[in-house]
Amino acid sequence: MSKADTPSQVADFVRAARADKAPFEIVAGGTRRSVGRPLGELPLLDVSGLSGVLKYEPEELIITAAPATPLAEINAVLVQKNQRLGFDPADWSRLLKSNGVATLAGAASSDASGSGKLRHGGARDSLLGFQAVNGLGETFRGGSKVVKNVTGFDLPKLMCGAYGTLSVLTEMTFRVYPKPQHAVILRLADVTPEDGFAALRRIAHSALEPAGLAYLPAGMMTGVGQGAAVIKLEGARQPLEEKIALAHGLLGNVMQRVDEDPFPAIGCGEKFADIPGDVWRVMVAPSDAPRVARQLQAQHWLGDWAGGVIWLAAAPTEAARIRKVAAEAKGQAMLLRASPESRALHGLYAAQPAALAALGRAVKAAFDPLSLFNPGRL
Amino acid sequence: MLLPPTDSKIVARRAQIVAALQKIVPDGVVADRSGLATFDSDALSAYHQMPLVCVLPSNREQVSAILKFAQADGVPIVPRGAGTSLSGGALPREDGILIGMGRMKRIIEIDYENGCVVVEPGVTNLNITKAVEANGFYYAPDPSSQVACTIGGNVAENSGGLHCLKYGLTTNNLLGVTMVLPGGEIVTLGGKSGSQGGLDLLGLVTGSEGLLGVVVEVVVKILRKAPVTRTLMASFDSVPAAGACVAAIIADGVVPAAMEFMDKRAAGAIESYNHPGYPLDAEAILIIDADGVEADVSYEVSRVIDIVAKCGGKTVEATDEKQRARIWSGRKAAFAAMGKLAPDMICMDGTIPRHALPQVLEEMAKLSEQYGLGFCNVFHAGDGNLHPLIIFDTMKPGEFERAEAFGADILRLCVKVGGVLSGEHGIGIEKRDLMTDQFTTEDLAQQGRVKCAFDAQGLFNPGKVFPTLSACIEQGHIHVHGAQLPHPHLPRY
Repeated sequence: MSKADTPSQVADFVRAARADKAPFEIVAGGTRRSVGRPLGELPLLDVSGLSGVLKYEPEELIITAAPATPLAEINAVLVQKNQRLGFDPADWSRLLKSNGVATLAGAASSDASGSGKLRHGGARDSLLGFQAVNGLGETFRGGSKVVKNVTGFDLPKLMCGAYGTLSVLTEMTFRVYPKPQHAVILRLADVTPEDGFAALRRIAHSALEPAGLAYLPAGMMTGVGQGAAVIKLEGARQPLEEKIALAHGLLGNVMQRVDEDPFPAIGCGEKFADIPGDVWRVMVAPSDAPRVARQLQAQHWLGDWAGGVIWLAAAPTEAARIRKVAAEAKGQAMLLRASPESRALHGLYAAQPAALAALGRAVKAAFDPLSLFNPGRL
Repeated sequence: MLLPPTDSKIVARRAQIVAALQKIVPDGVVADRSGLATFDSDALSAYHQMPLVCVLPSNREQVSAILKFAQADGVPIVPRGAGTSLSGGALPREDGILIGMGRMKRIIEIDYENGCVVVEPGVTNLNITKAVEANGFYYAPDPSSQVACTIGGNVAENSGGLHCLKYGLTTNNLLGVTMVLPGGEIVTLGGKSGSQGGLDLLGLVTGSEGLLGVVVEVVVKILRKAPVTRTLMASFDSVPAAGACVAAIIADGVVPAAMEFMDKRAAGAIESYNHPGYPLDAEAILIIDADGVEADVSYEVSRVIDIVAKCGGKTVEATDEKQRARIWSGRKAAFAAMGKLAPDMICMDGTIPRHALPQVLEEMAKLSEQYGLGFCNVFHAGDGNLHPLIIFDTMKPGEFERAEAFGADILRLCVKVGGVLSGEHGIGIEKRDLMTDQFTTEDLAQQGRVKCAFDAQGLFNPGKVFPTLSACIEQGHIHVHGAQLPHPHLPRY
């Protein structure tokens, strides 16, 4: 394993790998190595030394950090100024049974957003700029360090969800958001998936700016009859009371206020950590969620993002059927946790139409022509 | 500003090209001089160029056939929406086909269950809101040209508006697009599920200024209209005090729906233009919108009033909807009002870190003296997006060139303090030659290779955004030696 602790060491390593035409795996905290197609026994580039907050400007709503900065460290820094990352980065380490440390770049590169994505969007909506080393061994920048920018191609978007296949990140600048002072959890118990998701969509399309909207069927939450719609609202104390009253008005005064906040565990997939089988995230149009959930026939499942994502556990033999259900709903079934054999066979996502797949390959080659970085993972 | 040299061989084939396009779109080819004159510029009106021919497709199959033909025949393509680009993004080429998307203006589907609308690219920004407002929804990005500009153009430019700070730019309000690639293939990026199952090409395509393909369908998010909106006007004795107040509001955790700044000169011009009631003795004015549920808005308004007072400013609140509209009508008329002060003006567009505002304003005033040209400032203070308006007179020899040079210096200043060349108008031809001030050779080469991944022949909107002619080379590797760009002998246009 090689270690690169500075951007110039990363560039040196990439140039050497390029000269040797030697692909490698990029590792920072190491929590997400089991996601996507297995890379086999490739040399490792350990970038965990590229860590730490470089510049935090709370009044500009901006933070710049080295990519391997632990999420916990970033969150601790931001909370001191009552701010937070907008994309609610999800730490999948318990789900994936990893002992590593979830990092900023790991979360953004795997587009890992928790329930709070509803409010401020995904990593792509928060990453303003970055510095990285491309497959030619050149250090380059994309985006900027201001919140509003349309100068040149929006390369930061591409880095999010690319699973480290385009470049080795060496610096990242995120927009941050004020952290509301209070939050409350409301629960609508004993509802069918149809009624539960319909209630969640009503809140999603209100002016209440919800921070979490999930449906959990009976097996995933106890004491809620056939299932519960769970709603998280945020704000300063008095506005929050008004929002609660408005939510009751929208749904007819049938919700209970509960103490336990299930959303951190939902967003990180922890609800599935101890359930055997493959774990999937199926992204669909929210109104299709009840139907798709039924078609998926999973014993263990839940819906987050008002139905925009369905998490489920399934036997490895179900893979093709799950993909088919997702495709028929014009959605995407992401295989998040599975054996190396399953992941090799089914990939992270379904194969794309030919023209789109070709375009994706061309874009990858524009950054990494020799396919040195995490080859085949995405 | 130079455009790449015209290919006279293409111009010589004009009759065959027109005939080929007429076969594809029998009722939508504009080839006569008077017809083409309509399309000879966009909102960067200092630049004019007649296109070789203009074609107005009415469906995606026609777009695909046009692009296939153009690629096979090696003819450049310039896409155009409503022609409201302020950076020359839709400026035609003498040897290029202008593909106007204005006829594709169907609203295909309104899906309230999923909070989205599916439209063709020629639908205007405002017509999306009009289609859903009776049900209490709207489309958030609101560029000042929203009455005319099309959603296809908004995607190309990643358009912003007054409410970006809270609601984001076009890119944050899109779920998907269907686009035709330069070879004629049709691909769909994203959709109602919001997922792409691979690289975020939707994010890349948004704001790509017509360099990567032609968008033929767009899925946008719609939002529920906030039940309450209140408008405050704060006035300050000094520009730095207003700048400090903006930073203090943001640092307090308040994200107003809009926060606009104008200096004394702009306020004075606007006041005499349409009398919105701006205080004429203030050195700087902020107009602030708070929206949301009632208690949220009350809380934000009380925070803002406190902070303004601490910063030495005075706040008045619009007492009713009529006064609110009047205050905003002034801001929206800033451009027209300044037009009364001088025969010509250019509107610049750069973003700076908000803390650099006092420094930038001071240096702009110095530049103004140096160039002997007046200017005023209106800007989206919440997100640091400056719109200095430079006033000049084209009838006076050399003034246009001086105004352009002044504008370029302002943008360089934005970059110098850590900002960018464009916050929402795009690069187009207007700021193309300044790209090297913001980006290194490696940065630009990387973007150039991305362009090549879509458009290996370089036929899409040539001469826009990137300052150097660079061929797409095998494996995308452009050789860079020292600080030299490839092909140093080739002209930078």
